[in-house]
Amino acid sequence: MSDIRDKQDGKSMDCAEFQQRLPELFESGVKVSQDEHVLGCENCAALVRDLEYIASQAKLLLPIHDPSPGVWDGIQQAIRGEANQKTPEHSGKRP
Amino acid sequence: MNLAVQTKSSGRLTGEAKRGIFKTGEVRMSAEPSQPKIVQHMRRNPPIDGEAEAIAKAQGGDAQSFEILYSLHKRRVYSLCLRMLGNVAEAEDLTQEAFLQLYRKIGTFRGDSAFSTWLHRLAVNVVLMHLRKKGLPQVSLEETLEPSQDDGPRKDIGERDLVLSGSIDRVALERAVENLPPGYRLVFVLHDVEGYEHNEIADMLSCSIGNSKSQLHKARMKLRDLLRSGQRKEESIA
Repeated sequence: MSDIRDKQDGKSMDCAEFQQRLPELFESGVKVSQDEHVLGCENCAALVRDLEYIASQAKLLLPIHDPSPGVWDGIQQAIRGEANQKTPEHSGKRP
Repeated sequence: MNLAVQTKSSGRLTGEAKRGIFKTGEVRMSAEPSQPKIVQHMRRNPPIDGEAEAIAKAQGGDAQSFEILYSLHKRRVYSLCLRMLGNVAEAEDLTQEAFLQLYRKIGTFRGDSAFSTWLHRLAVNVVLMHLRKKGLPQVSLEETLEPSQDDGPRKDIGERDLVLSGSIDRVALERAVENLPPGYRLVFVLHDVEGYEHNEIADMLSCSIGNSKSQLHKARMKLRDLLRSGQRKEESIA
């Protein structure tokens, strides 16, 4: 939550202000976890940690799904169709 | 299968997306597939043994080489389609379409970027074209990029409980991404998973860079909500 000191000195943001600025802070390249407000606010620090964690984990998501064999069958069929110049612009669908 | 077939495709699709509303068949996309930052490129597109030879042969119409390229890249292209669409049947249809586009355009690949990067961008464009034909994906791009408040993440003021850091696995994150509203999911997958920059996403989605940044933040906040609620359920069961 916003702390009183922040309000009194007028320099720091409260939680609502901080979270409103968060998208821009993340994209600015600054170390958000070292932001003055974060250092004094456990809740916003946890939020920043979680969002940074989610972003870092997303980068580790690997391609894990394989298409069914029917996809390749469909590709072959469509290419044959194009080779026969029946529907050169239309791909067709999987059988 | 004879691949030495001339097609009419030039490798370029043009069209102007009017602020949020796309007419059927009207697609705005970059002239040619381009690549994200080099770092992303190297991380996500490491060189593949035998790929260069297969590309050269496929460009010459060799069917076996095209099949090799399919085998090398099908998983990545399909996973991209599935993550962007959240639907197996559509993802398979568009994987097929992406490789057909590849078949038609492979002669235009000149090696300015990694082949996988080029193919990946081609696949992204195929998915986006499909979504726009559908109305991206519910009604309009505007609506998709501005989900209702009901879909949006809430502010997190004054709540101290679960902390995600170090506690979520890949399966949980995959599931949470699947459950994102379509507009959030698109931007999140393109930026955080696939490594595209905001300016590239803005170009692809015909939105502002600020909008892309905003949607990404909302997507991460929503994911946090989804993951935390998943954790709570697990804890209540245990």
